Amino acid sequence: MAANLKFAKTHEWIRPDADGLATVGVSSYAVEALTDLVFMQLPPVGKKVKAGESIGEIESVKAVSDLYAPVSGEIVEVNTALPSQLETLGKDPYGAGWIVRIRPDAPSELENLMDQSAYEALVKS
Amino acid sequence: MTAAVLPVWWDPAGDGPGNMAADELLADEAERRGGPVVRIYGWTTTTVSLGAFQPLAEAEACPAIAGLPLVRRPSGGGAIIHGSDLTYAAAVPKGHPWGSTPQALYDAMHEAMATVLGQMGVAARLHVPTDADPPADAFLCFARRSAGDLVTPPHGSPASGGDAKIMGSAQRRLGTAVLQHGSLLLATNTSVGQEARHSGLADLVPGNASSNDVGGWQARRIADLWLGRVAESLGIVREFQPEPFRIGREDAIELRAIRFRDPRWTGRR
Repeated sequence: MAANLKFAKTHEWIRPDADGLATVGVSSYAVEALTDLVFMQLPPVGKKVKAGESIGEIESVKAVSDLYAPVSGEIVEVNTALPSQLETLGKDPYGAGWIVRIRPDAPSELENLMDQSAYEALVKS
Repeated sequence: MTAAVLPVWWDPAGDGPGNMAADELLADEAERRGGPVVRIYGWTTTTVSLGAFQPLAEAEACPAIAGLPLVRRPSGGGAIIHGSDLTYAAAVPKGHPWGSTPQALYDAMHEAMATVLGQMGVAARLHVPTDADPPADAFLCFARRSAGDLVTPPHGSPASGGDAKIMGSAQRRLGTAVLQHGSLLLATNTSVGQEARHSGLADLVPGNASSNDVGGWQARRIADLWLGRVAESLGIVREFQPEPFRIGREDAIELRAIRFRDPRWTGRR
């Protein structure tokens, strides 16, 4: 897991990239908790979202979960390969299992999120 | 905040969109109260509820349910034919021990029902997946099997192979709460074609049984015992509410029902 990841309480991670964009995915904890994934719906490129708004949905055998934007911004890229390769989310949740890239409205919003140790404490509690 | 009781609403029959809207509000109620809440309800007519992402085309290709009202749930899972079942919605805040993983709430509700069915003389257990399971993506919920489904010995379900599924549930995991829909099959629903029928509890108990009276066990009594057991497992007590959940929430329910009546929601996939 990269050291510069930040986490939302809703289990999404976000990584600021060198080009000013940020990559978003879901944590390995969340993927394991959902168990067998069967379907995923992603947002369209160009969609503007507020922090905490839904950016997609993921379905497992038992549950449908919303995916939430960790920060406000514009969706500029979507991992379109993911819905047909859901196993990637389990195998490489912090790499090839990325979900969207966002152009953050305010990079300072990242400060509202948890670092890795705080997130690990949350999932252990 | 720690909830001291398990509030339970026993609601009259409603239509599909109204029921789904009320259940979304139930999730809000769980968050507000800081603990689990349950709503049990009926349907004004036999209705098919589709899982959140089931293709509408699969429903349209199933002649056994042709012409029946159809509503798409916010929760996952397979299609359920409501009318001869005990339908429930349970909601918990995500911070609750039953909200942490999908399996936790699923097992809690099903284990409690297994105990009650045992009191009725019906051997029921939580399903453990095997290689012989029917397909996980079968159109109908009761033709699927997944870990924790409540199953009984074979009793005539069509093409089910081994054990028969008697209760299934599925969830919508929201930002701060979990909404779980579930169904206990009380009797065979004869309003649908043969290929969509699954036998229910009434086929397992002696006597003259129907969905209203399963061998002398009224649905209300089953629910009473079941939810008493659910509450007991948390060290709290079940508390039936004096009025239906809808009372005082009519406008909010109608507002939310607009989405569930919208053909774009029903046909989203």
